[in-house]
Amino acid sequence: MRLSIASAVATFCAAVLLYPLFHGGSWFWGSLGAVLAVMCGGLVSGRLSLPAWAAALVSVAALWIYLTMAFASDKAWAWVVPTKGSVVELVKLLGTGWTDIQRFAAPVPATEGIALLTTGGVGLIALVVDLFAARLRRAALAGLPMLALATVPATILPDPISWPAFIIAALGFTSLLIADGRERVGHWGRAVLVRRTRVATSPVPGAERETADTRGLRLSGKRIGFAAIALAVLVPAALPAMEPVSFFTFGVGGNGPGRGNSISIPNPIAGLKGQLELPERRVVLSYTNTDDKPRYLRIYSLDTFDGEQFGMTEPKGTPDNKTENGPLPSPPGLSPATKVSNVTTKIQLSDEIERLSFLPLPYPPRQINIDGDWRADATTLMVFSTRDEAAGLGYEVLTTEPTVTGDLLETLPQARASASDPRYLKLPDNLPSEIRDLAAKVTANARTSYEAAVKIQEFFTKTGDFTYSLRTQGSGNSALKDFLLRSRAGYCEQFATSMAVLARLVGIPARVAIGYTGGTKDGDRWTVGTNDSHSWPELYFDGVGWLPFEPTPTGSLGQGSARVPAYTQPLPRSTSDSSTPTPGATSTADDSPLGPQNRDNPRALDREATIADSGLPVDDSMPLIGKIGIGAGVLLLILLIPAGIRLITRSRRVRALGWKVSEPSDEMTARVVAGSHPAVAAAWAELDDVLYDYGMAREPSETPRALARRLTERYEFGAEPAASIATIASAVERALFARDAGQIAPMKKDLRKVRQALAATVSRWRRVRALLMPPSTLRRLRQMGEGVLDGFDRLENIRWRRTAAQKGS
Amino acid sequence: MAVTHDVPSRLDELVSTAHRIRQAIESVIEGKGDAVRLTLTVLLAEGHLLIEDVPGVGKTMLAKALARSIDCPVRRIQFTPDLLPSDITGVSAYNQQTREFEFKPGPVFANIVVGDEINRASPKTQSALLECMEERQVTVDGVTYPLDAPFMVIATQNPIEMEGTYPLPEAQRDRFTARVAMGYPEPSAELEMLDVHGGTPPLDKLQPVATTAEVRALIEAVRGVYVSQPVKKYAIDLAVATRRSPDLRLGASPRSTLQLVRAARANAALSGRDYVIPDDLQELAVPVLAHRLLPSVEAQGQRRLPEQVVTELVRRVPVPETRAS
Repeated sequence: MRLSIASAVATFCAAVLLYPLFHGGSWFWGSLGAVLAVMCGGLVSGRLSLPAWAAALVSVAALWIYLTMAFASDKAWAWVVPTKGSVVELVKLLGTGWTDIQRFAAPVPATEGIALLTTGGVGLIALVVDLFAARLRRAALAGLPMLALATVPATILPDPISWPAFIIAALGFTSLLIADGRERVGHWGRAVLVRRTRVATSPVPGAERETADTRGLRLSGKRIGFAAIALAVLVPAALPAMEPVSFFTFGVGGNGPGRGNSISIPNPIAGLKGQLELPERRVVLSYTNTDDKPRYLRIYSLDTFDGEQFGMTEPKGTPDNKTENGPLPSPPGLSPATKVSNVTTKIQLSDEIERLSFLPLPYPPRQINIDGDWRADATTLMVFSTRDEAAGLGYEVLTTEPTVTGDLLETLPQARASASDPRYLKLPDNLPSEIRDLAAKVTANARTSYEAAVKIQEFFTKTGDFTYSLRTQGSGNSALKDFLLRSRAGYCEQFATSMAVLARLVGIPARVAIGYTGGTKDGDRWTVGTNDSHSWPELYFDGVGWLPFEPTPTGSLGQGSARVPAYTQPLPRSTSDSSTPTPGATSTADDSPLGPQNRDNPRALDREATIADSGLPVDDSMPLIGKIGIGAGVLLLILLIPAGIRLITRSRRVRALGWKVSEPSDEMTARVVAGSHPAVAAAWAELDDVLYDYGMAREPSETPRALARRLTERYEFGAEPAASIATIASAVERALFARDAGQIAPMKKDLRKVRQALAATVSRWRRVRALLMPPSTLRRLRQMGEGVLDGFDRLENIRWRRTAAQKGS
Repeated sequence: MAVTHDVPSRLDELVSTAHRIRQAIESVIEGKGDAVRLTLTVLLAEGHLLIEDVPGVGKTMLAKALARSIDCPVRRIQFTPDLLPSDITGVSAYNQQTREFEFKPGPVFANIVVGDEINRASPKTQSALLECMEERQVTVDGVTYPLDAPFMVIATQNPIEMEGTYPLPEAQRDRFTARVAMGYPEPSAELEMLDVHGGTPPLDKLQPVATTAEVRALIEAVRGVYVSQPVKKYAIDLAVATRRSPDLRLGASPRSTLQLVRAARANAALSGRDYVIPDDLQELAVPVLAHRLLPSVEAQGQRRLPEQVVTELVRRVPVPETRAS
């Protein structure tokens, strides 16, 4: 009975973890119903003491009836009993749900099909958990299905599971374990393992209980469970993330608040699709620039292809590459001889953007004026922050676009991919041969890599008969194959990915950019909305670097605001297309090669040299030995805390000892002085601690006088320390018990003598320990801990009494 | 406040007088300083003393020596099985000349009453002592006669002589402030005893060293000794500990707490202190508490005496919070 309820609670707590997957809360109530249905089935079979297999059948039946009631009641007999029609209806809904899930990116809208899938899934998990915990009595194993449930959001979403949800789920599982433990121990007899008699003997309303008293055990169980959960939440937050960049040089990118400086690579594609699916257009950002031309704003640059989709290598941002440190690293591959046009763009991001820690920027950015700790990744020029969020920011970026024409590209040297990173050419080995053949076919007559690129783009936009559609089918290699060879329908992601893959196949370094198109002109500003989310390929050409291409259909039948760059048009056409920035378009557009003014900047030179040498960013972190040293130092400091506390306490007391109990001026003052005696209190407390430190602690029943006698006799004090301890004891006695303590002489010297006499009797090791790791302070810390535990106990008792009162009423 | 201020001067007087009495007694009883001191403590605490030990160790001698060293009326009652209550309290006799009943005071009308072998009398006779001890008055035929102050009963009893003895009822044991065991003397003390008292009866030489009025003044001074709240609480803690101890069937009564604190006052005064410290209570816990307690069946099975239980409790009960905040 109890176990069935506990399993239901635990499953439901675990199901809470699913919340980030959905829009709206209808799945929540559906799942609650499913869990309750399974619980009812479990309760019935528990009452009838059915064997496990029969119990499973009963639960399945309960779940089925519930699903029929919830999703196909109109086809069912009396809205409840499943009929053939209702089964068909459910299967149909399941099919819809399945396609919906394929279609939408998380968070998904709660369509009926998806709700059915979720409800059924949670119901099945509840069934298995109930079977394990309540029928087979293997509560710990019941954690596995719940873990499976928890992995769903963890694998789909880029963000880690939020800690409150984790705590709820963990508490659910803990309560299941505790319930199981109680059930077990309940059959043993009286429990003997209770921490405190007070807890065990608190009055129990009602007559003799037949089962064992497991309250103490439950309490310990809860304590251990709470402690474990707290540790599980807190310790990872305090640990450095497992990554090559060390704890001390926050040199990496990441996104999202509240996770220290850890990095998580977002899945930009999932986000892209979600934005494109949004029913209404929301403004993401707006910008103005000096030549008033729309520009693609890149956020992410995806470089790795695993056969399914493009992903991002972890960006590296050394402190050297902070935006506030002047110009960014030079754009890779852009030769100083190439003409560039300098454009300044002022970008204002919307406040509504959530968890964006990469900046949307036109490529290639040279210099950025922005507040906060933003860093550029040297190879891709993505700009990101580990601490700040982009939402609401306004910033200014200077770009140096190469002035590219088809002619220029035609004349470029044919050193394909020589200077670029090999990762931009890497393809999985199991790439279908049909795709390789296709690439060869499309670029059959190309003389140069530029011509090949143009032909590939043309294949997508003209010759290939591709259509634009937000519905996707399948995934993986087959999806790519399907898109290129059969369906030829997709949206920007498929187009960009496919073009990049084809380009790599013919030896052109390629990567996929994710960001926004240039948007639409609204008044004197360009505004970019969620429907301008876009993905496009960037291809590398020696001398000019990375150039964007546009294989996605544009206009009303494609990505509306996408624009095809002029240089990507087939060669026979004129090269004076206006969509390319032209020299001298505005007053500030500075038409010059990457000139001396840039060369003058030594940082830029250095960086270029570095990049040319290694191709990898340089991490200016400290050597390992230094880190170990710092770690050891911190550890040592932590270990020395008790000693520090002890020293502070002692010096405070010694100061108190110095207070002169001067001749009281009137009777009242005399009483006050007699009542407080700070000097006596300090001396006594200090003596107490010294004794404890040296392992000769005062017994609770030992009076000051008896203590003095014991110390003098056992440690064979000389006359002086014996007199000193007698003085202290008598002063304490008088201060505590006499009507009038009278004159109390300063006891500083006495105390010192006693301490020296005591120290002489103990081993050197004990003296060192008393100094470095004083037991008296540790005891005090322990007492504080006990106090906290007592507080918990009290809370526990309050709750218990209330429920007991409710039971009684 | 008037009383408090001259406490120290009275204390000096008290210490010196007490010293004289002690010396006088110890001239008769060798090497029994603790027992003598306890006797004096009980006297100053206005209590009664029960001396329990085997025959021949000087119980009666101690009682008589104390009585002798104070210049006051002393009576001795030898308890026998046929002793009647009226033999203790006194009787109303018909005076034929005055044709009236006339009260003839019994031996209890004295400042110090020595009850020898008290457990040989019948319970009826023993209980006749009850009123005298607690209320310090005697009621015969409806008339109440007050007893003189100071009034102290020093009773002796033999624990092992079972034949012809009636054990003291709990109620009566509770009225004795303290019980003291004499114990055999040290060989050296015994030798000195042989040397000094070999020829003459020792008590003959003993002269009174204090008057009744002096003793009354001393008792008054003891009443002024200060007992702080923590010490009072400690006395209660000790009593409560005996009530809760699983080794004891009967714990200490509230009367015993009162007597413990009174005795502690006297003990402090004898040490020249005008305030009580926990040490006083610890020192007196066994003599004051042990004889009132009844061991539980388990403790009896383990041959644990109440004395041992009390010693253990004293070692366990924390002294008043000496850790100043």
